[in-house]
Amino acid sequence: MSNLAAESPTLADFGTDVWWIIVIKVVGIFALLVALTLFAILFERKVVGRMQQRIGPNRVGPRGGLQSLADGLKLAFKEDIMPALADKPIYFLAPVIAAVPAFLAFSVIPIGPIVSIFGERTPLQLTDLPVGVLIVLACSAMGVYGIVLAGWASGSTYPLLGSLRSAAQMISYEIAMGLSIVAVFLYAGTMSTSGIVEAQESGSEVSAFGLNFDGPGWYAVVLPVSFIIYCIAVVGETNRAPFDLPEAESELVGGFHTEYSSLKFALFYLAEYINMVTVSALAATLFLGGWRAPWPISIWDGANSGWWPVLWFIGKVILGLFVFTWLRATLPRMRYDQFMRFGWKVLVPVALLWILVVATMRVLSREYDFNAGDIALYVGIPVLVLVMAVVWLWPDKAPDPTVKEGVPPTTRGAFPTPPLDLVVPPSPPLIKRDAVAAGKRGGGKRA
Amino acid sequence: MLNPYIPIVGLFALAAAFALFSVAAAPYIGPRRYNKAKVDAYECGIEPVDQPLGGARFPVKYYLTAMLFIIFDIEIIFLYPWAVANDSLGLFGLIEMVLFIGTVFIAYAYVWRRGGLEWD
Amino acid sequence: MPDLSAPSISYLGLAPVLIVLGAACIGVLVEAFVPRHLRWNAQVSLALLGTVGALAAVILVAGRNELTAARAVAVDGAALFIEGTIAALGALSILMFAERALDPAKSAFVASAALPVGSSADRKLATAPYSQTEVFPLASFAIGGMMLFAASNNLLVMFVALEVLSLPLYLICGMARRRRLLSQESAVKYFLLGSFASAFFLYGLALIYGYSGTVDLGEIREVAARSGASDALFVTGLALLIVGLLFKAGIAPFHAWTPDVYQGAPTAVTALMASCTKVAAFGAILRLLYVGFGTSEWTWRPLIYTIAIVSMVVGAILGITQTDVKRMLAYSSIAHAGFLLVGVIALGDAATAGRGLSSTLFYLLTYGLTTVGGFAVVTLVRDGDGEATHLSKWAGLASRSPLTAAVMTLFLLGLAGLPLTSGFTGKFAVFRAAIDDGAWPLVVVALLASAIAAFFYLRLVVLMYFSAPAEDGPTVGVPGLPTTIVLAVTAAATVILGLAPGAVLDLAEQAAVLVG
Repeated sequence: MSNLAAESPTLADFGTDVWWIIVIKVVGIFALLVALTLFAILFERKVVGRMQQRIGPNRVGPRGGLQSLADGLKLAFKEDIMPALADKPIYFLAPVIAAVPAFLAFSVIPIGPIVSIFGERTPLQLTDLPVGVLIVLACSAMGVYGIVLAGWASGSTYPLLGSLRSAAQMISYEIAMGLSIVAVFLYAGTMSTSGIVEAQESGSEVSAFGLNFDGPGWYAVVLPVSFIIYCIAVVGETNRAPFDLPEAESELVGGFHTEYSSLKFALFYLAEYINMVTVSALAATLFLGGWRAPWPISIWDGANSGWWPVLWFIGKVILGLFVFTWLRATLPRMRYDQFMRFGWKVLVPVALLWILVVATMRVLSREYDFNAGDIALYVGIPVLVLVMAVVWLWPDKAPDPTVKEGVPPTTRGAFPTPPLDLVVPPSPPLIKRDAVAAGKRGGGKRA
Repeated sequence: MLNPYIPIVGLFALAAAFALFSVAAAPYIGPRRYNKAKVDAYECGIEPVDQPLGGARFPVKYYLTAMLFIIFDIEIIFLYPWAVANDSLGLFGLIEMVLFIGTVFIAYAYVWRRGGLEWD
Repeated sequence: MPDLSAPSISYLGLAPVLIVLGAACIGVLVEAFVPRHLRWNAQVSLALLGTVGALAAVILVAGRNELTAARAVAVDGAALFIEGTIAALGALSILMFAERALDPAKSAFVASAALPVGSSADRKLATAPYSQTEVFPLASFAIGGMMLFAASNNLLVMFVALEVLSLPLYLICGMARRRRLLSQESAVKYFLLGSFASAFFLYGLALIYGYSGTVDLGEIREVAARSGASDALFVTGLALLIVGLLFKAGIAPFHAWTPDVYQGAPTAVTALMASCTKVAAFGAILRLLYVGFGTSEWTWRPLIYTIAIVSMVVGAILGITQTDVKRMLAYSSIAHAGFLLVGVIALGDAATAGRGLSSTLFYLLTYGLTTVGGFAVVTLVRDGDGEATHLSKWAGLASRSPLTAAVMTLFLLGLAGLPLTSGFTGKFAVFRAAIDDGAWPLVVVALLASAIAAFFYLRLVVLMYFSAPAEDGPTVGVPGLPTTIVLAVTAAATVILGLAPGAVLDLAEQAAVLVG
């Protein structure tokens, strides 16, 4: 391609579309999201099935391919229940409030370069703004309202608890998510999503040990800590396993949507999966080079032009969905206190320190003409080694002899939890019967 | 030049129409078989307990989390413009940001030591 | 990407504020990491170090006249004089915070502020030997905010400073160890009304920004001068800003919170509020009116004129009806705020600004010192339920403790503005400036109000000296070192500034510079 630079859109390329292009894009994004949701549900069930040595759904359609469509239709024909105690208008609107921002978040995600649709040259992206990524964050924050209102309006205990947990969890992990992408803005120098994708086109030249080679441009490689924090945070943000505490079936029935049925429930389900798609797409945009082809393919000159990039982009999104599924199939659910502690005491400080490290490196490399790669090499690696050594050599905390094994410490006024070695007294009829039968039996303990 | 927000409004209109249609249509598409137990609050089989009007009292932890969220969210809001403009602000921006993050860290350390981040 | 350039910041000029706020930050860390039994001493020394350090820094940078941090903060004579006054008064207030000898539980502050009043845990903690040492960093934050408030040359910075000074004050108002409900009530009242005032200020800020397109006081003045300042946005915005500031200064008709909050808050906190907050609020009023709106005096001059009269009259007349010493002092502070507004009016145009500004600065200093002293005496007179603030308990105090009664009399005379006290020289300076400026009707009202107010000050003096002591009267506590220092300094200042005010007046003359 001769004019490769012209293929990547800049902010000036947005807001110039004619109206029917906008309509096509809007409908296209909507269709893409619904299709990806249907795909994601099936994909998840198939993958989880394989991971558990099962086949997964295989009845509806070819190889079970229409399963999620059938599920969706089935939900539509279920009875719509309005609980007697529900706050009717809010109960009615909550699914809408949850679903609409989920769709909107996708509006600034770049799907491809400038292409020509019926002769009109236009970027494959609904729109872009100087504050692009903020739109995504704002939409994900708006989604919390839907969940909180759903739980509150249901007039029932489990949904209320579930929604509170959900809100606390989402806002806690939103902090970590918001902090993790600061480093990306530092490097890209812009918050527009198309600008960030463009900034990842090629990496800086790294010279190490006398060798010169092109470093990778993907921020997942340049900013690994940010990427890891982002990945963890979005799992909490989307309420997915192992952080699916708001829907912990064993504790809260179904969480905030316990009282919802029929299409209203379907909307929450849709919103959850669209959110998964959106955060995967955002991960691809911010950290994985966006729609640009990954390395072996990018050797081919035509890989980053025309409609091909849509393929790479969808591939990266599916990779993200696969990781979500993989996590769900592998990890047990965390306890709520562990989860919140992890978010506030590990992710937030690590993210803040990482920002400081990245900013310091960047400023120093510019002001004093150091090479960022050199600093990373000669300062970063020794520091990393030092940290690893400290972590390894740190003496393990000796078990506290005052804590009795197996007996949870209960203070007066704390929530009464039964001790782990609780001896349940036998029920009176049993005692009577046993006494009649064979004298005495000591307690209800097994072995 | 068109306002770049207009496509977002378009998507909003489409998504809102879809969602509103779904919630509005749900009662008419599905069957309607009245049963008092159905409209009670869900309680796993035991007699449902009425929720106090306007919600119950929540553990104070949630309020604490909300306040911490606001503090850190504001910090993030200050970090974003700085991050974008970092290249033109240079060393000055870095020093000021280190001071700012350090100040927030002080409050963070206080909350941590006082058990504000514990859930039990 | 617009090219941003870093502003230059004069850290030396900002040092007074930075020292206090830095001490407050370290105080938070102390609270987090130092074991409880060491905290009290650490916090007291830190807070004192901060305020005294700020005072030293003010003396060090005195004489500068500049705007720093992108014109956001003024470092000029008036700002530094007010910063120094706040730092000195703040140090005295913190000494009162640190008093351990008077309360049997070793501190005037509650052991755990979050417990519900009257719960068994709360009753158990009533005699706990420790207390919430957070009050010291909180007070430091408030003092730092006040210093910045008076020095800000930018409405946004002014608003941030307003919040920095207000939020800690709301909190520490509710931390009294005795009469917890009254204390918490005062905190909630102060918080609610204070939030309204902040909102007013913010709306005013927004309107002024809408009018002028800037939040910089100097630029606002230029825009106002160009356009003749007739816009409805401008007048409404200015009015809302003034309302916000008048509330903070506790000036009638925005004084409703003052008596309740002054009565309920721990007396040391009341001293801090009555002295430092008032000084800071007047600093901000002066800067706002003369730097930001100096060219559009016709919009606010009649307003301030009226409010000064209302405040003097309300303070003086309602003060008579009070039966509680702290409430009485609260109304006295309202009346004094009116007298101070006389000084604000008397600033005149830029050519004669010196006289009015310097006399207001001097009055702020004398009033602050005398008030802190008055509240310090209030902490001494105690009965089983804490401080005995009802007037009837003070009957015949002179026969119980002649020294306490004498010191209190000195402060009351100072507040009344009798000759040979600092109150007289302060009032004299302000009234003379007002007459020079042609505001003699205002001075007549002020003199009448002074006469009325003198009645209730003197009534307390008469009560202490010429009434028979009550049967179950209060005991007069023996103050520890901190309160003794406060009483000595304030009493000495009240006398010295009354007898030989020349040096300080000269200082105020030199400091009477507003840049921006």
